[in-house]
Amino acid sequence: MNRSYYWLVLGISIPAFLWLVPTIWMVSLSFQPNEVLARTTSSTFFGLIPLPFTWDNYAALFTFGQTPWWFLNSIIVAVGMTLGVLFVSTTAGYVLARMEFPFKRTVMVICLIGLMVPEQAVFIPLYTMFAEFGWHNSYHALILPRMAVPIGVFLMMQFFKAIPKDIEEAARLDGVTWLKIFWYVMLPLARPAMMTLAILTFLYAWNDYLWPLVSAQQREYFTITLGLASIQSNFAQSEGLGRVMASGVIASLPVVILFLIFQRYVVQAMTAGGSKG
Amino acid sequence: MASRSRLSQAQAAWLLLTPFLATYALFLVYPFFRGVWISLHDWNLLAVAFNPDAKEFVGTRNYERVMWGKDITWSLFNAPILQTLGLVGLVLSVFLRRMNRLSRFNAIALGIVSVLLVFLPGFHPGEGGRWYDRRFWPTVGNTLVFVAFAVPGVTISALLLAAALNRETRAMGALRTLFFLSQVLSVTVVTLIWQIMFSPRQGLIANITETLGGTPINWLTDQQFAMAAIVIATVWWSLGIAMILFLAGLQDISKDIYEAAALDNARGWKAFWFITLPNLTRTISVVVILQIILHFQVFGQAHLMTQGGPNDSTQVLVRYIYQTGFRDSELGRASAMAVFLFLIMGSFSIIQFVIGREKG
Repeated sequence: MNRSYYWLVLGISIPAFLWLVPTIWMVSLSFQPNEVLARTTSSTFFGLIPLPFTWDNYAALFTFGQTPWWFLNSIIVAVGMTLGVLFVSTTAGYVLARMEFPFKRTVMVICLIGLMVPEQAVFIPLYTMFAEFGWHNSYHALILPRMAVPIGVFLMMQFFKAIPKDIEEAARLDGVTWLKIFWYVMLPLARPAMMTLAILTFLYAWNDYLWPLVSAQQREYFTITLGLASIQSNFAQSEGLGRVMASGVIASLPVVILFLIFQRYVVQAMTAGGSKG
Repeated sequence: MASRSRLSQAQAAWLLLTPFLATYALFLVYPFFRGVWISLHDWNLLAVAFNPDAKEFVGTRNYERVMWGKDITWSLFNAPILQTLGLVGLVLSVFLRRMNRLSRFNAIALGIVSVLLVFLPGFHPGEGGRWYDRRFWPTVGNTLVFVAFAVPGVTISALLLAAALNRETRAMGALRTLFFLSQVLSVTVVTLIWQIMFSPRQGLIANITETLGGTPINWLTDQQFAMAAIVIATVWWSLGIAMILFLAGLQDISKDIYEAAALDNARGWKAFWFITLPNLTRTISVVVILQIILHFQVFGQAHLMTQGGPNDSTQVLVRYIYQTGFRDSELGRASAMAVFLFLIMGSFSIIQFVIGREKG
């Protein structure tokens, strides 16, 4: 490590700090009393240090308001979507990577074309469809549409293709059925790839905005992302700035923690998804 | 015993494929075609909800009402800057290809974009004519302006950061994490933070400007600054993935080249310009196209920070689709716009696919 390296680290630390300032500010505001914030948002060092300090905003979130409920909805939807995507993607990904059957190419091409259809291009027909089924304002309405996305299938397919064939062939010679090979041999090997896909899906589900916005009209079915949008337009007047910021912090905690723990998988997923899909 | 329950390979394959294919057909393929079908109807959200027969087949009239107008004519130099730019691009694509400075694929891409740039802005209402929908093309224009600022903003800053952070040390790893962190936040958290950051009364930016003796800018309500504010928030939000892709691309460049270059005294900026950039062209095009696809679909930032205002200056395509469909209940027209969006996104996806193929 030479001198220029330390200058480089120091040089990047300044933009890095500026990059972090908006987030620090949100966290800091969430720990300041609403009465103070109504007067000024720059009490101590432009408000970046939470003095005067209070826990009240967080306490208030859990005593009134729907934030805990929305948080729970988000967990249900994100976990449900993750399990669903894992199930359909590993099964289909395995088949497309390893098995031979009539019309395989056709299936592949149809899935590839699906990569080009953005959510924004189908949300209107999806809305009318779900309205006819009477499905809006429910968890499955929030979960199901996202399960139809082929990117996960391609991620899993690429992974299964990279596994050496001999393990599977040895099992086949012993007369093990395809379904058993999939379940007992391939799935345990696929754990890292499934982990990557799971985290990517969870992040997406947690942060999804447009579909919940049209599908969930009753506040009981809001996700935290949607709920936060519904209280931020009138934050200064009704809820108090500190409390809205506290909701923002709570809404971000799961994804930030998940990211910090599983950073490696997130980076892998983004690299694979970005360059291929 | 076992053979009785044994499936053939094809049977097992279809059995395992069924869960995906069923959801895929039901929630993506069918809705897509249904969207096209809706776009061919006069379809009022509320009327049809109460009476399924209250829709009327109108053919392509929705497309006409959205994209066309009365007495539309075409002329060169209707939008001089854009069209001249297109002509220059066209000449450049032919010229650079002749000089062999451009791959065939890039030359064709540049050529197509240039032709569109000459052709599309040339349409305008003739005398006494008007667009049937005054807001549609300006909305598309705003979306393009947003893309034109957000994409280079993200790409350039991510590239510089990646080049600086491309070392396997603990400090660099921590800095990478830090720059990536904002990427995992949801759009509503990002807009929450930046709405208050930009606020002229309570915002951090205003507080600092006032301390320095300046007058705070009304970022979100001033027509000059609203789009800039949205772009700033977007660059802050979505720099991470571009940075990660560049870091992956940098890993592929052999260290030997840098060592050889160092012997010739090419370090720092020189090495970046003459070695890093030329070796990274494919990653750069992947990132740029990915960002174009991503940012063309911008919705949350404009919807939550500025509500499309002031004076429609930040109204973007997806927000217009959303409003036409769910505020004005005109699902037919909204679907026609969604098909338009799909066509644009689809062509970029094809380009992305071709670039992805070029390597492997």
